[in-house]
Amino acid sequence: MDFFVLNLLNGISFGMLLFLIASGMSIVMGLMGIVNLAHGALYMVGAYVGWTIAVHYGLNFGLAIFLGGLSAGLVGLMMERAFLRRLYKQPNEQVLLTFGFVYILTNLCIWIWGGGPRLAFTAPGLSGLIQLGGMSYPITRIAIAISGVVVAIVLWWLQDKTRFGAMIRAGMDHKEMTMGLGINLERVFMFTFFLAAFIAGIAGVIGAQLLGAYSGLSIDTLLFALIVVIVGGMGSVQGALLGAILIGIIDAFGRAMFPEFSMFTMYLVMIIILMARPKGLLGRRA
Amino acid sequence: MGIARLKETIKQPWREQLIRFAPYIVGGVILILLPAVLPLYLRSIWTKFVIFAIFAMSYDLIYGYTGLLSLGHAAYFGAGGYAAAVLMFHYGIDLLWIGVPFGILIAALTAAAFGPIALRVSGMYFLLITFALGQLLYSIAWNVKWLSKPGMQGIAGLSRPELGIPGFSWSTISFYYFVLVIFLICFFLIYRITNSPFGYALRGIREAEPRMRSLGYNTWLHKYIVYIISGAFAGLAGILFVYYNNMIVPAHLAVGTSFLPMVMVIIGGSGTLLGPVIGSLVVIFVEYFASLFTPERWPLILGAIFVIAIMYARGGISIHLSRLWKRISYRYGSIKS
Amino acid sequence: MEALRVEGLSKDFGGVHALSDVSFSVKAGERLVIIGPNGAGKTTLFNLINGQLRPTSGRIYFFGQDITTVATHRRTQLGQGRSFQTISLFPNITVIDNTLIALHGTKRSRFQMFRSTKEYKHLLASAREMLTAVALWEKRDDLVQALGYGEQRRLEVTLSLASEPKLLLLDEPSSGLTSAESADITDMIRNLGKDITVLLVAHDIDLVFGVAERIIVLHYGQVIADGTPGEIEADPRVKEIYMGIEENEGNATAS
Repeated sequence: MDFFVLNLLNGISFGMLLFLIASGMSIVMGLMGIVNLAHGALYMVGAYVGWTIAVHYGLNFGLAIFLGGLSAGLVGLMMERAFLRRLYKQPNEQVLLTFGFVYILTNLCIWIWGGGPRLAFTAPGLSGLIQLGGMSYPITRIAIAISGVVVAIVLWWLQDKTRFGAMIRAGMDHKEMTMGLGINLERVFMFTFFLAAFIAGIAGVIGAQLLGAYSGLSIDTLLFALIVVIVGGMGSVQGALLGAILIGIIDAFGRAMFPEFSMFTMYLVMIIILMARPKGLLGRRA
Repeated sequence: MGIARLKETIKQPWREQLIRFAPYIVGGVILILLPAVLPLYLRSIWTKFVIFAIFAMSYDLIYGYTGLLSLGHAAYFGAGGYAAAVLMFHYGIDLLWIGVPFGILIAALTAAAFGPIALRVSGMYFLLITFALGQLLYSIAWNVKWLSKPGMQGIAGLSRPELGIPGFSWSTISFYYFVLVIFLICFFLIYRITNSPFGYALRGIREAEPRMRSLGYNTWLHKYIVYIISGAFAGLAGILFVYYNNMIVPAHLAVGTSFLPMVMVIIGGSGTLLGPVIGSLVVIFVEYFASLFTPERWPLILGAIFVIAIMYARGGISIHLSRLWKRISYRYGSIKS
Repeated sequence: MEALRVEGLSKDFGGVHALSDVSFSVKAGERLVIIGPNGAGKTTLFNLINGQLRPTSGRIYFFGQDITTVATHRRTQLGQGRSFQTISLFPNITVIDNTLIALHGTKRSRFQMFRSTKEYKHLLASAREMLTAVALWEKRDDLVQALGYGEQRRLEVTLSLASEPKLLLLDEPSSGLTSAESADITDMIRNLGKDITVLLVAHDIDLVFGVAERIIVLHYGQVIADGTPGEIEADPRVKEIYMGIEENEGNATAS
């Protein structure tokens, strides 16, 4: 029983981190049709910046989260405005471009922070364990899960309850019509891309408590983000959440039961979903 | 080109002929003679460039000509390489005449198996599924003990293949000429394929697939066939790479390796014969020279070149070269421009 | 002999009934024109006949054979040819190569990998004939994207004849053309032999009445009228919709 509960909790908390990573990517994919392969790199930027603020300068952890998000957001914004926007009608080239940025951003981070081992950090006050019904559980994981829930609620509110969210959903369903209604889709794109990058950045800082900061993050988190988006479906917060929790749980139990084959299981699930239901479980893109 | 065509060609004025074939003649001469005069270390890099030119040409078949953007082509490169490596390491079969066909077969079978899976979807989803399939093979290579030499990931310490000629041993230059012969065969085959009705059908699929179906083409079948052929060529490159490199690691199946032919084709020019070759030349040699001066910054340089090529050099280097060539030939030849 | 018979054809997209219970038949050699306001379901009907879409219900018979679930490329092999409302050519390829691709479509040579496309002398001759007929032979080495709109339209229609179809589906072949260019298309269609059956979707009144032996009127996915041009002209229901078509002339077409 303990085994089951422990892994379930691990799965859910990791899943919430995956949600933080993948939600932005999912919305950008659904809205702009762009597979931003550099999304993991944005996460990595956030993680490194967060480490610098929280550990290197020893400043407030909340500030680290904010600045991590902001720097990732600005990098993402630059990518969109200066590069992706110019390739509007060429989706292939856009994807290739984002992949070029993975190399550039990863190497830049190595240049600035060195290619050494993982930089680990934990928010002060969040280290240690908490007692959950006879079991000890790391507070950091709970904090991650809670952050995930908070972001999920905010995003869901944004998606379903605000005009901006309505514009995004309209843009996903029918681009031409939305533009025809006088909605400045370009601005919506720009802001959405920034938001997605911002979330990736704060995810980087929050998740660093679990994953640390290292240069391999750009590819490792990309892998997970892609799997989550494929399984859960692109374009909706609900999809990203469902996919993330599912994958988190599969990963947790997979690692506990067949450690060498956990990644293999991930890719297999991804392939099966792509074949059976390419739009994912709750996919939204028209 | 049939005998009749050849006769026709010969009848044309010799100056025109020379100009039309000059790029290929010059290229051929360089490929044949240059390595003999290069210093040893550059000879080896030159060999690597030719091997990756085959890999890049294989990718151009599916991306440049057919429009299939795959993020997992290294799966076939690695499949061929691992097949040859495993033959040598586990079964002691290092005869080239067995290793090469076997590796090509394994790579082609892998492509035949993955093809129906990948081709069920298109666009963004095709990108993701090819990525996942490549990574799947990578994780298999990482985890299955049989595919690694004990104590490491992958297989190292392989020697060059046997030619079956007693007393023969490879030198850098003889190995290069072996690779060059294979390259020239591949180049010729791809030249034929891309100029055939099948090759033009691929271009049609790239430009307007629904139209092709209405014209009578079973586009899925065309895509499947070229996918397998491309996988076979990629596998051949992988085999040559194992012979050259004397080792193979799981990373040769992963997305990082898949990225290389993509960069080469973009930089050199997609949908052309020479584009991938030029791209391979540029990438391999810039990598080499970068590694001499700033080894850690190489991925940054590669990424930057790649981004610049996508943004500003549409059509790649080969388009600019061919325009330049047309201007030269127009000035000096009697060809209508 | 019936070239085409459509029985109870319906197509739903989610909650939208694009086509409801459409039935009609086309005699071999007949010229049938389908008209109707935007959104009436004309292109959907074509997509069902040519195989881009599968019907929600109903059957399609092509020269007596049930082709309701047959793939598009097979339908072309069986004798269909189609032109598209939105020009569907190969922009980065030359005019002559576009034509050769179209000509190889129904030949076994489309799987040929070793001979060059230019070696097929008889196909080159056919291409020359086809392109000369629409005054595009001189431009054969130009990329399609360099052609003017009218020229592209002519090529679009010409390519659909490459497979020597028994049934030709033309979806708004004069869309976006000047009246002079439109008249050329009309003549081209009128000069097609009786061994081709022509099914045409059009908005241009001159084209419609210049070609039609019979007219079907679609409205909101249903057949409103089916008869000779004279009958259709006199039909009061059609007049109502017809006035609507005249008013909408000049708007972007979308059916």
